[in-house]
Order: sequence, then structure tokens, then C-alpha cells
Amino acid sequence: MHLSRILVVAKKELIDFIRDWRTVLAMILVPLMIFPAIFIALPLFLQGEAAELSAYELTVEVQGDLPDDLSIHFEGRNLIIIETDLLVDGTLSDPGTDAARLNSGEGEHIHAILRLQETDSNASQSWNYAILSDSTDELSLEAKTRTLDAVLTWEREVINATLAENNLTYSEAWDPIHWDGDQADADVASGGDLAAMGLAMFIPLVVAMWTTTAAIQPSIDLTAGERERGTMEALLCTPTARSDLLFGKWLAVATVACVSVLGQMAGLLFAVNFLIGGGLEAPSISTTGVLLLLLSVILFAIFVVAIELAVAVRAHSVREAGSILGPMVLVFIGPTLFAQFVNLQGIESWWFVLPVFNITLAMREALMGIYDPVHILLWISTSLAYAIGAIWWASKQFNREDLVESLS
Amino acid sequence: MGEALLKVSDVTKSFAEVTALSTVTVDFNAGEVVGLVGGNGAGKTTLLRLLCGLYQPSSGSVQGVVDEKPVDIHRMREHVGVVPEATGLYARLTAWENIRYHSRLNGIDDDLAWTRTERFAKLLNFDHDLHRSTRGFSRGMRQKTALLRALSHGPKILLLDEPTGGLDVTSARMVRKLVRKLGDEGGTVIYSTHNLAEAQQVCDRIVIIHNGTIRADGPPQDLISSTDTEDLEEAYVALTEDVARTDSPAEDEGRIARAWRRLLTRGGGSVE
Repeated sequence: MHLSRILVVAKKELIDFIRDWRTVLAMILVPLMIFPAIFIALPLFLQGEAAELSAYELTVEVQGDLPDDLSIHFEGRNLIIIETDLLVDGTLSDPGTDAARLNSGEGEHIHAILRLQETDSNASQSWNYAILSDSTDELSLEAKTRTLDAVLTWEREVINATLAENNLTYSEAWDPIHWDGDQADADVASGGDLAAMGLAMFIPLVVAMWTTTAAIQPSIDLTAGERERGTMEALLCTPTARSDLLFGKWLAVATVACVSVLGQMAGLLFAVNFLIGGGLEAPSISTTGVLLLLLSVILFAIFVVAIELAVAVRAHSVREAGSILGPMVLVFIGPTLFAQFVNLQGIESWWFVLPVFNITLAMREALMGIYDPVHILLWISTSLAYAIGAIWWASKQFNREDLVESLS
Repeated sequence: MGEALLKVSDVTKSFAEVTALSTVTVDFNAGEVVGLVGGNGAGKTTLLRLLCGLYQPSSGSVQGVVDEKPVDIHRMREHVGVVPEATGLYARLTAWENIRYHSRLNGIDDDLAWTRTERFAKLLNFDHDLHRSTRGFSRGMRQKTALLRALSHGPKILLLDEPTGGLDVTSARMVRKLVRKLGDEGGTVIYSTHNLAEAQQVCDRIVIIHNGTIRADGPPQDLISSTDTEDLEEAYVALTEDVARTDSPAEDEGRIARAWRRLLTRGGGSVE
């Protein structure tokens, strides 16, 4: 093995990647931005949209007698209330001819219709109501939400008044057995522990999904792509050993995959830090946990990249490689998903021998602060064995004689 | 004529059911420009790939000779420069970066590679294009870059697979001129072509390959006189009178893939 030649190959491949802006975008920027986009930008965007919607002045037609007790709850909700008579034959929910008025958008537009009808009752007050709205119209839905909010507040007051007349309080009537204090306070796990458990639920999935998908395109490009473009033949004519060429390519793809996954994790930590500013606690992960997590990510990347390179080497064209590697992602993601539901308490050691399962469970234990020496020994040794096996297989494929031929 | 640098002894090369080369024996000597002449599918590219160790013979042997000692063909690679038919350039690298990458893989210092490249680039009138990206290069420019890449580590033998195929007149002429110059300076060039006029013009010796066998081997004039013909084209026709085969080295297709293809192809997808 010739380290300097391996580095020459890896350096060239990395330069080749970096010069393609699409690769940089897909492999570095997208993974870096995906979690901040989901956890920060999306909520901010939704808040902005909600604020925009609440600024609209909406028109609600109230059919039937509008009691003063309800009328006051419409104040401050940015609603224009139009009072009319109630002319309904069937149930209040049956729109009848009012459906056309809500849908048409002609004339003075009504966003929602509140139908109110006082009923006979022994209680002090009893009403039937229905709110007509168009669920495909955002403004109509907003008008319904504001109206319903006002009606429910009024209902609570009516209930309280009825209970008071019978010398009862709301909690006595509706919540006679209740939790004392804050439920979250009763959990002895710290906020940091809970945050770490939350991360343990989806970091293994993120790592498995992103490592496998991030390595596909470069693996294909450096093997089947080179065959198709005719660069492989010239490369194999150099005196550099095929194993050195493969290791150089593997190093480049593994670097890209690791940078991609680490970028995604950095984005995740940034998003978590941003949320911590908003009251969330920082996850409690020890240095040992972080080191074990990094080791598991690296071993997984070595294993996955070697397998994907070997499969891509076997393909005669980019299309053939893509059609095999695309569905193959499920081979890695399936066990990862399954392993998320395996109980870590009293887990049998053989789980840490199974490929893919072992790394996923190792990540979960590292994040949860569980450091079982037998488990650690098992997953490190078996992952190393799988990685070496995958590299050996890739190396075998790279020695194939038909590597210089392509279907193009 | 110098000593033999490459010795091909009784080599047969088969791919699945197709025999691409059959019991071929030929030596390539130092200081010769040898033309491998034959039609499409004759076995020229297979022979070139055997000479640079990309293929292993099914039987027989291919050996290199360095300092009068036989060496394994793989160890011969540092003495061989190859220009495959596809040229094989990386589009996101400049011409010089392509050349430098290969010279580094040949273990050659960048300064030395640059000196050699600059010298030959001037001969090809290409020195001003060395720092341009190869994306968008014409066929001629790609061919020149591939030639410079093959020469950058100072090989003893140059293997060229159809180097003038698809080139315009001026570029083809420049390539021929460079090959002849290398030959005149004592270099060894093995040159595959199906252009007989070109072979006659450039090569000291011509090896005619037909249907995977060598039909003739010698200086152009000897081939003409031995066949009692007027020119090389007539000599070639006389030597390759039997019909050229229509099968070519097939792709090593997997069993499942072959069965699936045959199932969905009218007539079973086999070459009749």
C-alpha cells in the first residue's frame, strides 16, 4: 500500500467534488441547513403567516339573537359582526342556501356564519349553535376559529354561572380528582436527560439515512461514472495499484459522507442551541458519549461507503448503479428504524453483533449515557470486522477485469 | 532495431463464449513505431489492453523486458504511456491538472512532468491551452491532452488506441508528426488504427490483425511485395479475404440480467 498515491487519488476526487457546485449544495449546504430550516425557519415562517392572518378584519354573520354575554367576547377579535334573523328548516349545521353565500365571494363577503338558537331547558341558559365556514378558504377558517373561541369562552362562563347557582365550582364539577402541581416537576429525569433521550430517538436515523444517501452519488460517480466517461481505463493503466486507487476513492467518498453527516449534526446542534435560548434545556451528553457517537458514525461510514463503492463498481453504467443503490438504502434504514424500538433495559448482547443494528443501538446508548463495556467491545469489534469485510469485497470488485468496459 | 520490450507468446483471450484473440505471438522492439491494423472487432484494443496489463491472457503470456530482464506486465506499467480510445479526461480539471494527476500516480515530480509536458505541448501547438478546463475541449484538444498525459512520465513505450479517430486533418497530422518524431528519437510506439494510409506513413512495421489472429507482420513494403500487390490497401484485402466476424467481446453480463434481457428481447437477444 502506497499512502502518498492514496492521498493523490483522494485529493483529486475531493477537488473534483468541490468544483461541482451541485455536489457542494447537496452534500454540505443542504445537510447543514436542514435542521435549522425545520426547527427554526419553519416555525418562524408559520408564526409570520399566523400573524398575517390575524391582522385581517373578517366578517361574521350572526343568525338569531346575539346575547350580550356573547357579544362582548367578539370584541378585540378583529371581527365585523352582522346580525340577521335565523331562518333554518333543518339542523343548524345544514348550510342550505347559505352555502352559496359563503362560497361565492360576491358582494359583501361573509367569511363565516354563526347560527344561534336558544332551547328550552331547566337550566338557566341553553343554546344550540353551528358555525358555517369553508374549510378550503383560509380566511373562512380563521373566522370560524375566532368565532368558536368566543363561543367557547362564553360557554365556560355559562357553565360557571349555572354551577354557582347550585353552589358548585368548576373544578368540583368537572375535575374532582386532579393532579396537584406540574406533572413535569414529578419527573426525576433532568431536562438535559430528556433532551438527550429525544436526540437518541432520531440521531441514529439521521446518521443512517444521511450516510447511506450521501455516499450514493459520489460512489457512483467515482466508479460507474468513471467507467461510463472512459476515465477508468486511463486510470487503471497507471502503475498505481488498484487497491491504492480504491482506497483513495473510498477515502474521498467517506470524507464527503462524514462531512455531510457532521454538517447535519452541526445544524441540529445549532437548532437545539437556538431552541435552548427559547427555554429548552441543553442535552446532557458526556465527553465519552460524544466520542463513542463519533466513533460509531465513522465506523458506519466506513462500512456503508465500502459496500456502496463495491456495488457501484459492479455496475456497468451510472443508471444501473443508481437503480441498485437507490433501493439498497432501505437495507440500512430498515434495521435502524427497527432498532429504535428495541428496549435498552436488559437488552441481550447479541443485538450488538448484528450489522447496522449494532451501530444504531450503540448511538442510542452513547446518547443515553449507558456505557456497558461488553456492548462497547462487541459493537466496535463487529463493526470493524464488517467494515474490513466490506472493504475487502470492494477491493475484490475493483480488481475485476471488465472494469475498463462500459455499456456506453 | 533494438531489443524486445514486450513479448506476447501464444496468447489467447476469451470473453465468455467469444474468443477475441487466438494464439497470438508477437514481439515489440525498442525504437519501433508499430501499427496494429485491423477492422472493427479485429482484436486490436484487446491486444493493447493485454499489453498494459488491463486484461489477463486466457492462455499464453505477456511479458515486459527491462534491462534485458523479463518483468511482470504490471511492473512494466511505469515504462508505458497509454492513450485509450476514449481519452478519459476529467472535465472539472484543467488539461495540466489531468496530466499532473497521472504523472503523480506514476510517481513523477511535478516540475519534471511540467518540463516534459511543456516541451511536447509546444510541438502540438497546445502550450497555451494547458491551464484551460477540459470541459468543452474539442476532440483534437482532448486527444492532445491525453497524449501529453501519456508522455509526462517519460515512458519507454507509448500505446495509442486509434489516436487520430475523429480528429480533423490538422490535428491528425500533428499527432502523426509527433508519433514519427518520437520514433525518430528512438521511442517505441504501438499504434492501433484502421487507417492504412496513416499506418504506412507513420509506422516502421505493421501487424495486421483479423478475426483475432495475426495475418501479417513486417515493414509496409514487405507486406506489399509478399502479397504481390500494388499498395498496402490491396495487401490488406489479400491478407484478410475471409469475412470479418460479427461477434465482439461481450460484456460480462450476470446470469439473472442475461436471462431477463433474453426474456424481454425478440428472438432471445442472442447474436445469430
